Amino acid sequence: MRGRALSSGFHRTFLGGAALLLCAATAQAQATPIPHGTLQLIASNPSIAPGQKIDLGLRFQLDKGWHIYWVNPGDSGEPPRVEWQLPAGLTAGAIEWPTPRRFESGTIVDYGYEDAVLLIVPLQAAANLPTQQPIRIDANVKLLVCSHEMCVPGKAELSLTLPIKSPPMLNVHNNVVRKQDVENEHLFTATSQSLPRPAPPDWRLNVADTSDSFVLSVNLGREVTQAIFFPLAESQIENAAPQKLQSTATGFRLTLRKSERLLKPIARLQGVLVFAADHSDLSQSYAIDVPIGKSGGARSSSIKIHPAEASQP
Amino acid sequence: MKRSTLQLILPGLVPCIIALLLTAAPPLLSAAKVGAPAPDFTGSASNGKTIRLADYRGKYVVLEWHNNGCPFVRKQYDSGNMQRLQKQWTAQGVVWFTILSSAPGKQGYATASEENDYLVKRQAAPTAALLDPTGEIGHLYDAKTSPHMFVINPQGVVIYDGAIDDKPTTDLNDVPGATNYVSLALQESMAGKPVETPATRPYGCSVKYADATH
Repeated sequence: MRGRALSSGFHRTFLGGAALLLCAATAQAQATPIPHGTLQLIASNPSIAPGQKIDLGLRFQLDKGWHIYWVNPGDSGEPPRVEWQLPAGLTAGAIEWPTPRRFESGTIVDYGYEDAVLLIVPLQAAANLPTQQPIRIDANVKLLVCSHEMCVPGKAELSLTLPIKSPPMLNVHNNVVRKQDVENEHLFTATSQSLPRPAPPDWRLNVADTSDSFVLSVNLGREVTQAIFFPLAESQIENAAPQKLQSTATGFRLTLRKSERLLKPIARLQGVLVFAADHSDLSQSYAIDVPIGKSGGARSSSIKIHPAEASQP
Repeated sequence: MKRSTLQLILPGLVPCIIALLLTAAPPLLSAAKVGAPAPDFTGSASNGKTIRLADYRGKYVVLEWHNNGCPFVRKQYDSGNMQRLQKQWTAQGVVWFTILSSAPGKQGYATASEENDYLVKRQAAPTAALLDPTGEIGHLYDAKTSPHMFVINPQGVVIYDGAIDDKPTTDLNDVPGATNYVSLALQESMAGKPVETPATRPYGCSVKYADATH
């Protein structure tokens, strides 16, 4: 989070300086219609420089009552999949999945997003990226959009053209900033803040394997009265089972009923912990990765829910 | 005096009350489970017949949860894979029930005549298509998705519960290379071997039950 806050200040300065030069460039592709919504490919920066890492974003805007899915969709559904076509010298990372919400319908519980969501994908430019002409980024996205009444598949071919800047980028000459670039930057910043962050190193986490449940104990030095766990892997816990929380003076224990489809023992429990009963406060969401049956050792997660934290400058 | 009698009787009553409660709330408690007897049901088929699962003891039975609009189901039917499986296995004496648990107004709901038209149009060949708009059979099996598949052995025991195959996508191109768990379970069981993959996550669209609320 800190890294992002710092870099966004830096970007703002840079934006001001570069704006005039970029007026002709298109860092904003049109929103493409998908079933029951639109999808747009946007970038965190109006340009990219050799050696620089910026973020791309798949911006979903969905009609009311429709949702798409998290990396673990839960009991049904399918997460969006993206295939990149990038010029030489550019590498796209994995999707950084924001904290999902639960969609409950009877005994079926899914994990996903409604209304609007930005799926961030880091884009790394090689140091020797040619600077002569703007780059074109293409993304083919396959997705499933569902309501409680039906599911519809969708496809979108998205593209984005970004100018290339030669480093150094601190050529501040004027203060003209494109409104759209500022909006994009704010959207990326807000989304970054809703990504699960690694669990702090001083937390003590452990998972006890009882016959029908995993009991996740979290000791973080304060009382927690509300928490929801989102499992990263499918078929480890029963998604629809109530997650029973017992508060302790320094944390809590969360009982997660094992999935009936969990036929072999698992070594680790990975997922996202949200300290809220509903989805009003996603800022308190943490990626955890805890070995089962051992205590103390586990801390933050190395899973790809939020790899950006580690790679920020 | 009365009080102590009550105190004597009450502890004895508690197990009875619990037992009564357990039998009175069947759907969740008797849900299908691999290795356990398949819950019996009676359903109306689109061909007008009444089907009772128990009547098919002695045969393998496949249950296929269906929703004709669901992209995961369409992958199987547009590719012809589901029809192929139905023909292949019913030709070997397997009983195949396609079950529609979508509520009226929701994706996948069909009247008897609509379903009969669909079966003809898609050249589908299940033993019967069961209409379950109340979701009673769906809840009995805790069917979560379309297509959610179950395989029941001749002894009436569930030997497979889960996905149709190992490719949880809506992409038609994924059908040819997929490992079909239903066929594997039938083959292994018919060969007298244990079913190696008896339970998987049943991918697909959520079953569009009547009681689905937001």
